Amino acid sequence: MIEVKNVSMSFRMSQDRIQSIKEYLVAMAKGKLKYKEFWALKDVSFSVRPGEVLGIIGRNGAGKSTILKVISGILKPTEGAVEVRGNIVPMLELGSGFDFDLTGRENIYLNGSILGYSRKFLDEKYDAIVDFSELGEFIEMPIRNYSSGMMMRLAFSIATVVNPEILIVDEILAVGDEAFQRKSRQRMLELMGGGTTVLFVSHNLDQVREMCDRVLWLDHGQVKMLGETKEVCDAYQI
Amino acid sequence: MLALAIYMILAVLFYMIAGQQLRVRADSTDSVSPSVSVGEILSDMRLEQQFTVQSDRFTSFSVLCGTFGRQNSGTLLLELYEQAGPDEKTLIEAFSVDLSGLQDNSWYTVQLTRPLENAAGKTMLLEVSAEDSTLGNAVTLYYGDSVSTGRVEITSEGWTPLLQNGQPLEGTLCLRTTGETDLWFGRYYWYFAAAAGLLLALYFWRLCRLKEKGKTCLGLRLINAFSRYRFLIQQLVSRDFKTKYKRSVLGIVWSFLNPLLTMLVQYAVFSTIFKSDIPNFPVYLLTGIVLFNFFNEACSMGITSILGNASLITKVYVPKYIYPVTRVLSSGINMLFSLVPLLLVILLTRTALTPAILLLPFALACLLCFCTGMVLVLSASMVFFRDTQFLWNVLSMIWMYATPIFYPESIIPDRFLIVYKFNPLYHFIRFARTVIMDGVSPEPKAYLICLVFAVGSLILGGLIFRKAQDKFVLYI
Repeated sequence: MIEVKNVSMSFRMSQDRIQSIKEYLVAMAKGKLKYKEFWALKDVSFSVRPGEVLGIIGRNGAGKSTILKVISGILKPTEGAVEVRGNIVPMLELGSGFDFDLTGRENIYLNGSILGYSRKFLDEKYDAIVDFSELGEFIEMPIRNYSSGMMMRLAFSIATVVNPEILIVDEILAVGDEAFQRKSRQRMLELMGGGTTVLFVSHNLDQVREMCDRVLWLDHGQVKMLGETKEVCDAYQI
Repeated sequence: MLALAIYMILAVLFYMIAGQQLRVRADSTDSVSPSVSVGEILSDMRLEQQFTVQSDRFTSFSVLCGTFGRQNSGTLLLELYEQAGPDEKTLIEAFSVDLSGLQDNSWYTVQLTRPLENAAGKTMLLEVSAEDSTLGNAVTLYYGDSVSTGRVEITSEGWTPLLQNGQPLEGTLCLRTTGETDLWFGRYYWYFAAAAGLLLALYFWRLCRLKEKGKTCLGLRLINAFSRYRFLIQQLVSRDFKTKYKRSVLGIVWSFLNPLLTMLVQYAVFSTIFKSDIPNFPVYLLTGIVLFNFFNEACSMGITSILGNASLITKVYVPKYIYPVTRVLSSGINMLFSLVPLLLVILLTRTALTPAILLLPFALACLLCFCTGMVLVLSASMVFFRDTQFLWNVLSMIWMYATPIFYPESIIPDRFLIVYKFNPLYHFIRFARTVIMDGVSPEPKAYLICLVFAVGSLILGGLIFRKAQDKFVLYI
């Protein structure tokens, strides 16, 4: 269950980012410490019921990724509050926790622990992850020797092995060659259809129409529309 | 329950190891610097010296004697009186010293058969005479009128002068006294232990109550966070460790080799080029190196712990303090490995190992807490100002020279002593050295100082970090 209450998020954009004490002092002395405020989200409220699939649509820069980051706890909202019950697995970017000097096996445990899995869970699912990634004996090699496709396959396998209470998906990921792409899309659809609460950001309206129960339309950081899938998608497409 | 049992065992064990040093502090007074001798002490000479005892228990005293470089025979009579009033003295003990056993220009120590209790503030009188000494077969004692502390000379004006046959001489006898002072902490140790235990029990009880009610508080949240992120911390530490020596041939051996090589170089430099007269220099040096290296490594690696994990922080939610904390823990494990060469050197130099070494983990734990606090501040400040890194390089160098790692504490000038009093590393290293080299527990004050620095740094670092952490994402 997710409850988003009057969330606003502002970024201070200074003309040039100040990253040293000297620059800071100089700028302060000159009185040039001005910031331009930019509101990425303005007074956004909505709630997601357990088991619901909520689609989020909007143009580039509408604040879709920002709201996902606020919900997953990476960003703290300037105003308002987010209440989340249940463990979240964010599938924002694959393989961000990989260490290139470690072997595939070690990376499964490292990345898994970052995503919040327990050791017991990883021990149980280890074979499933390796099977799904089709890496075979490469799993014992340092991943700096992997091809980019292999790395993405491993990352995808780790990220989708879970049955989370809340899943955050930024575009349906399809990685690897054509066969793996089909397989991974299948896995994603399974995950999203499996009764978990899903927040789903996509530009592909067909997918949104197919998957989502309700849709939230963000425009310039504000809620433009929130309602039944068909209604909102039709309005958006005009 | 388990925690309480462990606490009780620890409290008793601690008392057994450190008991003696908790109850009493051994202290001794310095003597005046010898300038003149009284001349041969013959049968017609009688020396009288008054002095005041500062310790609670008076155990022994020593005098500086000269034999004129020859073998003398006969006895020297030392009579120790307690002087209650101008003409009221009671004999405490009389000592006959066999002159043939005396060494030229050396201290002769006399041990009281029964230590004098409640001696603090009492005036004592030492009378020296030699019944059967003749010219050419007698010894002498030295006296002087100034005290040298290595830095300044204090003239001893106003002191009770040495009396020779009733006539005052210019100066006082070269006399050292040693005694023991009772410490109030040791007397009430069991009360303290019981009180702390009770508080602990109460706190646990409260935690359990809160847990039943489903409320949270700081303690519960800490326990929860620990059990929840234990696996992650474990994984991150093991990553740090695996990648550190991943592509080096010797691998983990470097953890042993590094401090050992540093010690060898510094040992070579400071035992040949710059002579230092520190007893057991290898152990002295290596203890300092191991502890300081840990601090230095933890800080210089930890400073980038937030920036280095930027890709993770912006993508997955994990409490951000995890990164600095794991960094310090990795360095801590590295330090544990470098304790092995320290142990090796201790054994090689035949330093006596006593149970007091079991107190070493206290110093290490305090150092760990202190480093964690430092790294929290440094890594947070690094996010906003990249200059921190370069400032830290300079600062850590200053810090190294401001810590007695390879030089003795005694060369620190008086006016800089205040700097050392505020240098936490100085206290941690001193604690470790007392435990390892002297084989005894430090005085209770040392525990308190270490604890205050450790907890203080942790709290301060935690507060600063907590205040800053929400803005990290915007700056990295």
